[in-house]
Amino acid sequence: MSGGERVDGFAAAQSESRREAVRLGSKAGHEKRTEVLWRDYEDPDGLRRLAGAIKQHTLDHLDVYMAQAEERLRAHGVIVHFAADAAQARAIVLDILQRRAALRVVKAKSMATEEIELGPFLEGKGIECLETDLGEFIVQIDADHPSHIVKPIIHKNRREIARSFEAHDLGAYDDTPEVITRRARVFLRRKYLEADVGITGANFISAESGRLVLVTNEGNSRFCLAATRCHVALVGIEKIVPRDRDLGVFLNLLARSATGQSLSVYTELISGPRAATQPDGPDEMHVIFLDNGRSDVLAGDCREILRCIRCGACLNVCPVYRQASGHAYRGVYSGPMGAVLTPLLAREEGQGHGGSGGDEGRGSGGAGGAGAGGPGGAGGAGGAGAFLAFADLPRASSLCGACNEVCPVDIPIPDMLLRLRDRGKRAGAAGTVVPPSTMAGFARLASRPWVWRRALATGRLLGLVPAPLRPRALRVWGTNHTLPPWRGGAFRKWMAARKLAGAPPGLSAPATRTKEKP
Amino acid sequence: MSGAGRHIQLMATCLADAFFDDVARATVQVLEHLGCEVEFPIDQTCCGQPAFNSGDWPAARDIGRHCLRVFAGDDAVVVPSGSCARMVSHGALLLFEGEKDLSGVAALAGRTWELGDFIVRGLGVARWPGRLAARLAFHRSCHSRGTEYGQSALALLRSIAGAEVVELGEPEQCCGFGGTFSVGFPHISRAMGDLKIAHVLETAPDVLVSADSSCLMHMAGLAEKQGRALRTLHLAQVLRDALQGQGADAAGATGPGGGEVRA
Amino acid sequence: MSDARAGIFARVRDALAHLPEKHALPEYASDVVLSRGAGDVRTPAAAVTRLRERMEAVRGRVFTDGRSLGAWLVERGAMRGYCDPALLDVVTGALGGFADRIALETALDRARIDDYQFGITRAAGAIAETGSLILDDTTTSRRLAALAPWIHVAVLAPAQTYPHIPAALAALNRDPYIIFCTGPSKTADVEGILIEGVHGPGEQAALILG
Repeated sequence: MSGGERVDGFAAAQSESRREAVRLGSKAGHEKRTEVLWRDYEDPDGLRRLAGAIKQHTLDHLDVYMAQAEERLRAHGVIVHFAADAAQARAIVLDILQRRAALRVVKAKSMATEEIELGPFLEGKGIECLETDLGEFIVQIDADHPSHIVKPIIHKNRREIARSFEAHDLGAYDDTPEVITRRARVFLRRKYLEADVGITGANFISAESGRLVLVTNEGNSRFCLAATRCHVALVGIEKIVPRDRDLGVFLNLLARSATGQSLSVYTELISGPRAATQPDGPDEMHVIFLDNGRSDVLAGDCREILRCIRCGACLNVCPVYRQASGHAYRGVYSGPMGAVLTPLLAREEGQGHGGSGGDEGRGSGGAGGAGAGGPGGAGGAGGAGAFLAFADLPRASSLCGACNEVCPVDIPIPDMLLRLRDRGKRAGAAGTVVPPSTMAGFARLASRPWVWRRALATGRLLGLVPAPLRPRALRVWGTNHTLPPWRGGAFRKWMAARKLAGAPPGLSAPATRTKEKP
Repeated sequence: MSGAGRHIQLMATCLADAFFDDVARATVQVLEHLGCEVEFPIDQTCCGQPAFNSGDWPAARDIGRHCLRVFAGDDAVVVPSGSCARMVSHGALLLFEGEKDLSGVAALAGRTWELGDFIVRGLGVARWPGRLAARLAFHRSCHSRGTEYGQSALALLRSIAGAEVVELGEPEQCCGFGGTFSVGFPHISRAMGDLKIAHVLETAPDVLVSADSSCLMHMAGLAEKQGRALRTLHLAQVLRDALQGQGADAAGATGPGGGEVRA
Repeated sequence: MSDARAGIFARVRDALAHLPEKHALPEYASDVVLSRGAGDVRTPAAAVTRLRERMEAVRGRVFTDGRSLGAWLVERGAMRGYCDPALLDVVTGALGGFADRIALETALDRARIDDYQFGITRAAGAIAETGSLILDDTTTSRRLAALAPWIHVAVLAPAQTYPHIPAALAALNRDPYIIFCTGPSKTADVEGILIEGVHGPGEQAALILG
């Protein structure tokens, strides 16, 4: 089915089995979340709103909290860095590694490191950078991309994985999930023990104590931090929360929203290098605070997206995500939160994976964009071009609002999608089926009642629809739907006739009209 | 009568104006049965949502301003559409942020009601009189999120003598219309609609009912194109038909799919 | 680099300077975050009971005497492993007859990491609400010992059990590395099928003594 927008085209080209894998995986995640939140709380929605308010407060005072977090981290022996953009972040990581003559890095899942494309950069410098999260590991050996922020291989089946393992000398073909997992365990174990540096992200940083919080299930970040002597954490500036006690709100919501667990298996609270009495673990710990467009978002009218705690609940519930899958969003972040964040963080860049093979910039991250964007953030430092490359993403939504309903920090995603459509239109974004000039024409029609009534009454089938739109949209509609019969003017005629006749004609069976028992 | 003497303005919706005259008619009949005096300002056109959703906010504001002029006054404005009611009562506040007519827009927002919600919470009607012997599958449209519209509609439907009301599986999943979304993203829109229709048919209903003609137009149109039977009725039509004591197979049952009953 | 820092702070301040309103930090009582029933745990005995229930619900194992642990290790064929030297006497005593059949090493050799079929270390605490064990750098003799072997046994005194998450968070000390371990390591990455024992232990146990 041609004629639709890019995300629609991607969805249409996808195999049925892949679509069903994504749809059913997402559906299961959503159902688990619902079951567990209502099992464990009287008022889960109240808790979500509380979490949202805490996050919004933190964002509104981010300068204060960032300074506090920095001071606490330094006081505990952490080396703190600041990276304005992806290039700076990569340079800082490289510098740390080169000072240690480090050639092997193990990485625990971090969206921020994906955003700055750290892995390929380090590989290009001759440094092995191995993903350790099972799904991310599989994606890496396949030279693929994750398609969900929490379940990166939701789109793959066991047979594909088994073939891939065989191709990479991880054993003869065996698609038993246990065997796949054991093989990864054995392989990565060696790698952890041989690695020089462990790189992670952070789910939260408590400004009060300077503690990083890492939330995982597999034990991969634990191993990175037990087997290597240097820990580097890349953290978006929006990850800060005010106090340790506030972690109780977020920890209770995060795992339930993501996977239906009350807590993920491992919740690590890290405030510095290893204790003096502890033989295992890093001697040196670095935290790199990453801006990369977040301060521009903070200045704009979609700042609430910075509350996001990367749980994936919005992806799981989104009917559009379920049909299209994560790769359709052409960036690190997908689904509803990706449709907002990717255009906002977009910077000029070279090649990326463009969903259907396009080569405009990959969503978020990039080497361009030094210099601050102004308040109001129209396009920001990255430039309107980068934003426009992703301006179709906010349109890939029926605005159903399910995302906001499940968001643990109550982000008003539909409102932001609408704002981004306004921003896109002003920046010159073009819809493919509904051309940009369409609504101006519709507005002229809809503010001239006499023209409107004429269009209805003359029975022109397409009279209600502005001319430039008529052939395309109606043709597209007609591919999948029948059109209801044109009835323009019929209601108005009826109303006018009643007015003339005086009292309204009653409904049939007068006995049913009066003295009805309530 | 709970609405005795109450003067209200009817916003019929552009879809009813063009395709679903019986929905607008049924709305009038239902409100008048409750004793309301229904005015239909003839200069009305559209609430502006298509332009708003498309991101052409200047165009949407032009239409919104026309709306303000047309529905001037203090009367309650009643709309047989959750989608349009939400546009006027919620979307418009975003659209007119920072504009000088925001207070006028907010005033209109505060007096605009979706039909079912008006009947239940505006007029205090707890039970609907009449009879309709039918198995009704109720589709709660997405625009009822964050409102009482769905609750109100369900309460009314359930109270009808003879009516058996069932909800759908995966009710939180959108039917896939979304206005211009259905033509901008036709493959996804259709896939979403097909999933929804499957859930509808699983309940083996006599009729699919919603408080939004837009959703019904989408699902009925998809089904008809595929040669499948799917009878649809708007909430207003169900309430009107109940007053007339009609059963599900009465000849007069009409739906947003057109003027005829489909077998 | 300090230019980057100054730049980020400046951009953040500028972004916030023209906000029409700034949201206050909401006041809330800790019990708002308590999951159903967590607030009912008011005595140490109740905490241990709840810990046991919740640990078993997340497929952890709870032993309240060394002999049961010993029998289980033997049944699992885990006859050789690591034990925190500070626990050696206590554990040997608790295992009773099984101590003869189970080899406890008190040094951990990275080069032979997969030779250790279990690791026995001290817990710093536990959380009844979630069935979690709390480990930290000060009380865990070797991070790798609690992580690498297939079986991890954390030795816990009943009094160390916090009723719920807020209590555990309020008690966080200056230890640089604190972990809440809630059941064995797991993944559902392959077709959503739950597999236990990924990079961390495939069996997470508590030995409650004292």
